[in-house]
Amino acid sequence: MKRGWVKRLLSLHGVLFLVFVYAPIVMVVVLSFNSNPINMMIWSGFTFDWYWSILGYPTQLNEQTLYVESTDQLLGAVKNSLIVAVSTTTISTILGTMTALALYRYRFRAQRFYQGLLYMPMVMPDIVLGIALLVFFVGFGVALGVMSIIIGHCTFLISYVFVVVSARLAGMDDTLEQASADLGANEWVTFRRITLPQILPGVIGGALLAFIISMDDLVITYFIAGVDSTTLPVFIYGMLRRGVKPEINAIATLMLTLSFIIATLGLYLRRRH
Amino acid sequence: MKADEEAQDQAASIAEVREAVKRFAAPEGGIVTALDGVSLKVRPSEFVTLLGPSGCGKTTLLRAISGFEELDAGEVRIAGAPMTGVPPHRRPVNTVFQNYALFPHLSVGDNVGYGLDVAGVPRAERNTRVGETLERIGLDGYERRRPDQLSGGQRQRVALARAIINQPKLLLLDEPLSALDRNLRKAMQLELKNLQHDLGICFVFVTHDQEEALTMSDRVAVLNAGRIEQVAAPETHYHRPATRFVAEFIGDGALFSGRVEGPAKDPVLVTADGLRFAVASGTPAGQEATLLLRPEHLEAAPKSPRASHGVIEARLEQSVFLGALHQFVCRLANGATIIAAPTGAGAGNLSEVAIGDSIRLAYRRDQPHLIPEVGDGA
Ligand SMILES: Nc1ncnc2c1ncn2[C@@H]1O[C@H](COP(=O)(O)OP(=O)(O)OP(=O)(O)O)[C@@H](O)[C@H]1O
Ligand SMILES: [Mg+2]
Repeated sequence: MKRGWVKRLLSLHGVLFLVFVYAPIVMVVVLSFNSNPINMMIWSGFTFDWYWSILGYPTQLNEQTLYVESTDQLLGAVKNSLIVAVSTTTISTILGTMTALALYRYRFRAQRFYQGLLYMPMVMPDIVLGIALLVFFVGFGVALGVMSIIIGHCTFLISYVFVVVSARLAGMDDTLEQASADLGANEWVTFRRITLPQILPGVIGGALLAFIISMDDLVITYFIAGVDSTTLPVFIYGMLRRGVKPEINAIATLMLTLSFIIATLGLYLRRRH
Repeated sequence: MKADEEAQDQAASIAEVREAVKRFAAPEGGIVTALDGVSLKVRPSEFVTLLGPSGCGKTTLLRAISGFEELDAGEVRIAGAPMTGVPPHRRPVNTVFQNYALFPHLSVGDNVGYGLDVAGVPRAERNTRVGETLERIGLDGYERRRPDQLSGGQRQRVALARAIINQPKLLLLDEPLSALDRNLRKAMQLELKNLQHDLGICFVFVTHDQEEALTMSDRVAVLNAGRIEQVAAPETHYHRPATRFVAEFIGDGALFSGRVEGPAKDPVLVTADGLRFAVASGTPAGQEATLLLRPEHLEAAPKSPRASHGVIEARLEQSVFLGALHQFVCRLANGATIIAAPTGAGAGNLSEVAIGDSIRLAYRRDQPHLIPEVGDGA
């Protein structure tokens, strides 16, 4: 009897938790199809027009409202975001993995301290990192633009990749590399045939994490983005300041879809290894 | 030393360790000397076992040969070539790791073929050799399995196959059987021995199980605290141990230290607490030595013992029936325990003695081994 209501309470907790987390997200998705241009909280019919609108196609709705100032600006921001995310993912995955390997393989003085330094960017407040990077770039005369964003993102994304790959390395049986060397493989062959396949799930996980964080970063990017190098989050933030407009729901839904695809890809790859 | 043994030592040794010293800086401070001047020669197609208690340096010695530990002093030679500065992947030795270290992402076939793939052996030849090797160890048809789809014994075989496929001059095995259950272990001991015989490869085998060492090896090196106590055939270790440590480590037996006294015809070992043991005639008096009495040396003493025998007065504490033989646990006047396991007629006489009664044990005075005391002995 008593078990019964405890169980029911637990299920209720589970349901409430899911509602709490996902209701707002579901709402955004639903509202992105709402054709009411004035008050998006009032449902007035199903439409794809907001999606057409952000892609720059003329629709009945944007004739009346035309919220997205310029589709070119939006597409430019998406392009910048993708350039930044792809470059930072590549750079930070390579450097982060190499760092993790180096710290796994070699023992040196002040190793703990160095490890601590690597964790720092993850716990440092974004504002502080943003200001620090801005001061640094301005101080050294680095032009603010896509390049500065890439450098800025790499400074902390290397840490994320490092942590994920290190965890994977820590779980690896280190006699595997010795067995490989014992069978005549040099360092490079051992890395390619044994170490890399062993840590690949970590490397892929780290890369996906880096990609998503880079795509999503607002605060740091806001400080170090130049005038013509707006990324998608910065662009959306700019739109929001002039009022919440229905197109934002459509953009958010598209971003959500992209994240969903990436997460699924990650899970799939992890399953395969 | 005997002449033939000397001659064999002169013959080209497959592997030679000379005065190897290896020290580790312990994390808690201080220095651990894992190898303290170890010298060892492995002769062609020999099965050598490194035997010793945990932490005595067996793994370190093996890793020094395979190249995973660099020596602080001394050197390793393989087939006459000095190995100092030669990395593991260029050494003509292969290792069977204690935890097998199979590559989890590769199939059994790819695990076994790894050494050939790395060496760039053509595909067709590689495949036939992998097939042959798997067949040899009784795993043909398992090529496509993953290591996690195998039993412990099968993994052990794959590790073995992977290590022998390159036909190394020397195979190093670090407690390869320790993870197997008793029956499988027995079977694998025999199989390993046969494999070694068929392949004609030298095996250097690590174990801390003395029975395993004695049954499998041509020679056993007993290690203690980074030093080799004795390298010899199993029979020699058992019957003529060189040190007290070896005598204690291998087989059962009671040890008595003392000084040899009396005339050359009837020498006696007298211990510090006054026990007297007759020892082989001709043993020079005045010598400090340790007497090793094995259980099978002892039997019931006849009414009037002959001069060729030594007699021990004791009290029967326990009588243990072990199937094939019968053990009698006896206590001496000084409190030491001694076990008698007489064979043949002697056993019957002892069975009639009641627990707690005094008994007389006898041994042929030339049978027990006398270990001469050297300096730091016990
Ligand atoms: N990397 C290391 N750092 C510090 N000390 C070490 C290291 N490797 C081994 N030792 C020490 O060296 C000594 C010998 O170790 P080794 O592993 O050779 O022993 P072993 O004979 O193989 O023991 P076991 O039978 O338990 O495997 C031990 O005291 C051990 O603590
Ligand atoms: Mg060991």
